[in-house]
Amino acid sequence: MIRRRKTSSHRKPLPPVALRHGRIEMEGTAKQAIETGRTRLVIAGAIFALAFATVGARLIDLAILTDGNEPRIAHSPAIERFTTERADIRDRNGELLATSLITASLYADPALVLDVDEAARDLAMVLPELSEASIRAKLSTTGRFVWLRRNLTPRQVYDVNRLGLPGLAFQREERRVYPHGSLASHILGFTNIDNRGLTGVERKFDDILIGGSGPLDLSLDMRVQYILEEELAAAQQEFSAIGAAGIVMDVVTGEVLAMASLPGFDPNHPIDGADDTRFNRATLGVYEMGSTFKIFTTAMALDAGTVTMRGGYDATNPIRVARFTISDFHAKKRWLSVPEIFMYSSNIGAAKMALDVGSEGQQAFLRGLGLLTPSSIELPEVGAPMIPSPWREINTMTVSFGHGVAVSPVQLASAVSTVVNGGLAVPATILKRAPNDPIPLRRAVSAETSENMRRLLRLVVTEGTGKNAEAQGYLVGGKTGTAEKLGAGGGYQRRALLSSFVGAFPMNDPRYVVLAVLDEPKGTKATHGYATGGWVAAPVVGKVVTRMASVIGVNPLDENAPEIREAFAVELNPRGTTLASY
Amino acid sequence: MFEPIDSAESELSFFEKLWQINWVVVLLLCATAGVGFAMLYSAGNGSFDPWASRQIVRFGIGITMMLVIALVDLKFWFRYAYAIYLVALLLLAAVEFAGFGAMGAQRWINLGVIQLQPAEVMKITLVLALARYFHAANMIDLGRILYLIFPVLLVAGPTVLMIRQPDLGTAVMLAAAGGAVFFLAGVRLWMFGVALAALLAVVPVAWHFLHGYQKKRILTFLDPGSDPLGAGYHILQSKIALGSGALFGKGFLQGTQSRLNFLPEKQTDFIFTMLAEEFGLAGGLGLLGLYFLLLAYGVGISLRARCQFARLLGMGVTVTFFLYLFINIGMVMGLLPVVGVPLPMISYGGTAMLAVLIGFGLLLCVGVHRDTRIGRRGLTE
Repeated sequence: MIRRRKTSSHRKPLPPVALRHGRIEMEGTAKQAIETGRTRLVIAGAIFALAFATVGARLIDLAILTDGNEPRIAHSPAIERFTTERADIRDRNGELLATSLITASLYADPALVLDVDEAARDLAMVLPELSEASIRAKLSTTGRFVWLRRNLTPRQVYDVNRLGLPGLAFQREERRVYPHGSLASHILGFTNIDNRGLTGVERKFDDILIGGSGPLDLSLDMRVQYILEEELAAAQQEFSAIGAAGIVMDVVTGEVLAMASLPGFDPNHPIDGADDTRFNRATLGVYEMGSTFKIFTTAMALDAGTVTMRGGYDATNPIRVARFTISDFHAKKRWLSVPEIFMYSSNIGAAKMALDVGSEGQQAFLRGLGLLTPSSIELPEVGAPMIPSPWREINTMTVSFGHGVAVSPVQLASAVSTVVNGGLAVPATILKRAPNDPIPLRRAVSAETSENMRRLLRLVVTEGTGKNAEAQGYLVGGKTGTAEKLGAGGGYQRRALLSSFVGAFPMNDPRYVVLAVLDEPKGTKATHGYATGGWVAAPVVGKVVTRMASVIGVNPLDENAPEIREAFAVELNPRGTTLASY
Repeated sequence: MFEPIDSAESELSFFEKLWQINWVVVLLLCATAGVGFAMLYSAGNGSFDPWASRQIVRFGIGITMMLVIALVDLKFWFRYAYAIYLVALLLLAAVEFAGFGAMGAQRWINLGVIQLQPAEVMKITLVLALARYFHAANMIDLGRILYLIFPVLLVAGPTVLMIRQPDLGTAVMLAAAGGAVFFLAGVRLWMFGVALAALLAVVPVAWHFLHGYQKKRILTFLDPGSDPLGAGYHILQSKIALGSGALFGKGFLQGTQSRLNFLPEKQTDFIFTMLAEEFGLAGGLGLLGLYFLLLAYGVGISLRARCQFARLLGMGVTVTFFLYLFINIGMVMGLLPVVGVPLPMISYGGTAMLAVLIGFGLLLCVGVHRDTRIGRRGLTE
């Protein structure tokens, strides 16, 4: 820039100059300065405009344009669809039995943890269930990944985040939740921490549940399940039994409506209970069922034609075979008709019936009822029956009244279903059958035998050992069973019983089998010290039938109506004077 | 239009002066202040208490002061420019000893009746003093380094005090406003180059003298995502609010970011964000439009002034106003680091509003006295 020296800087101030339209005219450097000033003023104005353009553009950018890097808030809080990997389990009415919740699990990258001691101390403070020492040990490892705690609650996640410790992170996980707690726990089973099924339906259908094919519908009806478990638990408590089992089964479809094993456990916290709580007595446990087996012996004899409803056997004296003596608990010491043998639960009579059919025929018949092979129910915990080998004559006799053979309760329920449903064997299932699904049926018993068995079973409740199972209006029929358990030493124990009652209702056209088993019940004053099936298990079945019938819609009938009495008419003692009962 | 032939000699009557006041500017200021009241009402969760009511009172006082200042003869301001500057500087220095802090910084002085932030007053008086000094400058003076020592000291004095307070935002504003007046006065461009080079050389040294939080703010500005829960929190929340307002906003009193207290200092420095959240882009651009009109009038009034003092004063005030709003809006949008600069006429705060209105009083004064001429040697000839 050219610099002029002292041209006008010491001149007198400029005189006023005529102005036109605000223009200023000056001379020399002063004028130049002012001109420069004006130019720069305009430049400043331009900078203003430019700055405003920038700010405006930025405002538009922030407010309108979508920039992936800028955090934004959605206009309405979007509802997150919880997509869980493991499908729900529901009962036959759509009631939720098992579902998955999304949780967070805490892990650490030890390499990123700055101060192990501080981290361990802080974490132990917010997660008191972890010990400081164990955290320190985990964080001191050389690996890059270590789980600290799985399935934290949102509150715990918040607390951990608030610590602001580096090297900690959360993994999105699922946690299996069973809203009904311990109800049906043995059927449902539970999963491990990686959400894979370990037992029950969770294990059996693991692949299907994680296959994303939607919820799994079981045959269970949780209303009936609740009734069954409540009544079983009450009886277990009343008679101080060490355990109990129960089944409610649809005799036509083989669907299990309810199945219980006590003591139970909470699948939400499976390992909190004792080991034996996770044992499913209804399917995995096999027991010598005792007199309930006389159902099959009688049906077998009637089916084989070795005896008729009017026939009978002499039960005056006990049978002695080798070192065994077979005698009657309710000994009548006379000739007994078939209905009487059944009603009074005569061991002698049953043994003689079985001997007439023979060992081969007995095995074939029991095999046809599915009692010699494991149940086909879809659970991993299925017990194999213990059957005599070799099957000698003595075995034929003991098996006839339910000793020397051990089956699971679910096998028993299935076999009874076949006997009362018209004679068709139907596989037990835990899955809900679609209405039009073909049910694999196989004839195992003749229709006529089934008809006769209904009469006999009803007779036990009206006249025999099973009176306590009566449910007013529902025509319960059934058979008691009281077996002495094998002791540790191998011999039978008189005081350790397995008392049961297997019933069906309504007996004119049976729809459901109800089984109740009590393990080692003790008699009470109310039962006059008895702990037999008729005293401890039969009342359970009666109560369950009364309660469940109204829930699932079985109408009560008038037991004294002529057609009903006719249907159950049984000639008790063809040789005596009494001809009929019901 | 009324235009006296020789205004230097003829004094305008009071009513003539009143007529000469640029009432459009007054109207624009009232409109802007009105927006401010609405936002403070919203910031108080739909209540005049505690902010809006007090702000209205202050605006009433301020606008009266503005009109009085506008009507005072320009020569008065010319005469007492240095004296006023000195008073403000003394107040600023007094803050060092008698002031009390707010939010960890000493910025207030208690004058008995009112509490004053001398820093805000300083922004205007610095412009006044610089305009006074450069009024007599000619091209040769502007090329001499020695000639510039005094005005540099005028700027450096309060700036250093502000850095000591510490108030980086005001310091930057003072330096920038001072620099702008230097530029407008016609100081050679190469000198700005030298100053810039010197500044860059000083930066690494100055970095060591910055407070921890100041360093953090600058680092945060460079990468706000680096510490989203700490120093970057303000700016991220602010951007979220701006973005969530979209085109027309969520509606008055409906801004969730501000209502749920995600937004820090919503009644003061981040009030623009709240406006943009509740009234959207339309509201934000509307306010920017008001500001732009005010600035355009400021530039226009300055351009029409006949003497250098008036022009520099008017333009200096306009630049100061511009710096206020540009730094504030740029800050909330993440264009500039977070520094404590209020949004003029909108943010809650008495002294800042007072300073802006005093500045506009001077600008209006320049407009009223646009034909007044002051000799290069001053008023004494």
